[in-house]
Amino acid sequence: MKRMTLLTTLSLAFASNIALANSVTFTIEQVKNDKGTILAQLFKGATNYKAGKAVSAQQVKAKQGSISITFNNLEPGEYAIRYFHDENNNGKLETNMFGMPTEGYGYSNNAKGNFGPADYNDMKFTVSTTPITTQSTVSY
Amino acid sequence: MERRQLLKTLAAGTALTAVPLKGFAGQAITSSKDSLAVTKQLFDKALSSAPELIGFKGATKPFNKTALTIEGNIPKDIQGCFYRNGAARHERAQQRYNHLFEGDGMIQAFHFEEGNIYHQGQFVQTSKFKKEEQAGKFLYSGPDSQIQGALPVSSPDDINTANTNIISVDGKLWALWEAGSPVALSADTLQTHGVVNLGENSRFGNKLKGLAFSAHPKIDPKGDIWNFGFSPSGHIVLFHLNAKGVTQNVNMIKTNYKGAMLHDFLITHRHILIILPSLVLDRTKSGFFGAINYDANLPMDVLVIDKDTLTLKRQYKVAPGFAFHYGNAWEEPNGTIHFDACLYRDANALHFMKNIMQGDQMAGVAPAKTTLYSLFPDGKYKEEQLEGSADFPRIHPSKVGIRNQYLYSTGSTEVEFWFDSVSRTNMGSGKVDKYVYGKDFVVEEHIPIATDENEDNGYLMGTALHIPTKRTCLNIFHANDMSQGPICRAWLPYHIPLGFHGNFVAKS
Repeated sequence: MKRMTLLTTLSLAFASNIALANSVTFTIEQVKNDKGTILAQLFKGATNYKAGKAVSAQQVKAKQGSISITFNNLEPGEYAIRYFHDENNNGKLETNMFGMPTEGYGYSNNAKGNFGPADYNDMKFTVSTTPITTQSTVSY
Repeated sequence: MERRQLLKTLAAGTALTAVPLKGFAGQAITSSKDSLAVTKQLFDKALSSAPELIGFKGATKPFNKTALTIEGNIPKDIQGCFYRNGAARHERAQQRYNHLFEGDGMIQAFHFEEGNIYHQGQFVQTSKFKKEEQAGKFLYSGPDSQIQGALPVSSPDDINTANTNIISVDGKLWALWEAGSPVALSADTLQTHGVVNLGENSRFGNKLKGLAFSAHPKIDPKGDIWNFGFSPSGHIVLFHLNAKGVTQNVNMIKTNYKGAMLHDFLITHRHILIILPSLVLDRTKSGFFGAINYDANLPMDVLVIDKDTLTLKRQYKVAPGFAFHYGNAWEEPNGTIHFDACLYRDANALHFMKNIMQGDQMAGVAPAKTTLYSLFPDGKYKEEQLEGSADFPRIHPSKVGIRNQYLYSTGSTEVEFWFDSVSRTNMGSGKVDKYVYGKDFVVEEHIPIATDENEDNGYLMGTALHIPTKRTCLNIFHANDMSQGPICRAWLPYHIPLGFHGNFVAKS
């Protein structure tokens, strides 16, 4: 019960799509099916990104096509987002035996990796006083 | 809070940093000049005075099903289809790939139907091919060809060219590359179905998705499929699939091999043999293949792997060498392992595949020679080299992993350029039965066609390009009398690109 309550609370929070000032709305396109969830992490600055320290994270139910996620009440500054389509709902990005992702993933600014992850400089965006938007198509 | 914290630290970091093929697609090339345009200009100029190069020009369109002109008689006991694969789309928009291994794969099918032979050729419709076809230009960099503004690569299958070999699996065809997944096609229409997820219908699920699967799987007499997949990091995945293509077992071993390329391997009835050649990388040289160097002081490592557990059992070090291809391996009751290799003592043949794209001839490339190895239980080994050039080795399909009496190979006898002859070597007596096509032909891999389990029966079949008429012909020999020449020759009314490997699929 405790876990369910926690999840419900989080879902409500995550489902919020109202973009406030100091916010970013991230649209994820070409989600291939409704299985599982999309897990997205927001990082503030390159150092935190490299250290894997997210300032915020959201989980939404996967839906074929497009999904929008909004992060509100952000301090002004430089941010980056990465996400993956957790089709089997186990909370981690599945990989093959060589360590390559076997679930869909992507980054803000539609940054793409080349034989590896995207470059932080291609993912970053700045949050100030007006809402901003960024998007990504999922790489499966 | 627990859940929020979990989400913030979710385990995406490691996986999104995997770099299995770093350096594969033109990463090391820094020249600002469009080397692909230069390659095209050089090749076209060379072709105008060297008609034997026509087989390396490539194709731009598929070949519709066409009846062939028959000389001699088609053996009535050959029923089925002979499929071949090879790099065929070398050029787009005035650019030409720098290496022969980079082009998109094209399947050549020779259908034996109702007393005739029909040819059909179709590009494998990989995601890369379709995108570039639509764009009318190359979009992705190749191993030795850097494209300005190339699209990023998130998985090796983004640049899978499916261009090296083709096998039949459970009624479908698998077009094989060596750095990514098999690509499934329809056996009758050559329509592409898409990449094969090797873990599908097995306990491995998506764990095998996108893994390298070499272009030289070994199909044992029971029909089981054995293969490896190599990552330039030195990791080697070993695969055991049943005859329906369902994965039974998989294991990964870590080696210190730094040669970046591993093309073929062997099986005995008990073991897998992975032979790590004397290749190293020289990152001061440009390109993926271009950076591969031969180290004359580096012994080859033979890894002997147990087929039941896919784990390493022992290692042998043998004299330095390099082979693209191996014929067969077999094992004596006392554990002595025998195998053959088409052995080079340098890597010039690999680099020739770059030179040929510019129209350079084969001068100075020492041919491979059949080399016989025996690995003894006490750790010692014996090596014996046979005379004559030999590559593209093949054996009777019922002898894979067990003792074979004959070894078939393609070689050069009268000319240095590519191959001009085919031969059968008796592994017991050493006697060679050979047919020389002569200087007017460029000869490709020939394969044994089994009519039963007797190695003395059956046929040898293969294609050759006739230079004066610019036509390709399919040739059929009696396996036990090669020197009398082909008993049947089927002429195409055109030439097709020279390819790499193929297999015959008997009508069921």
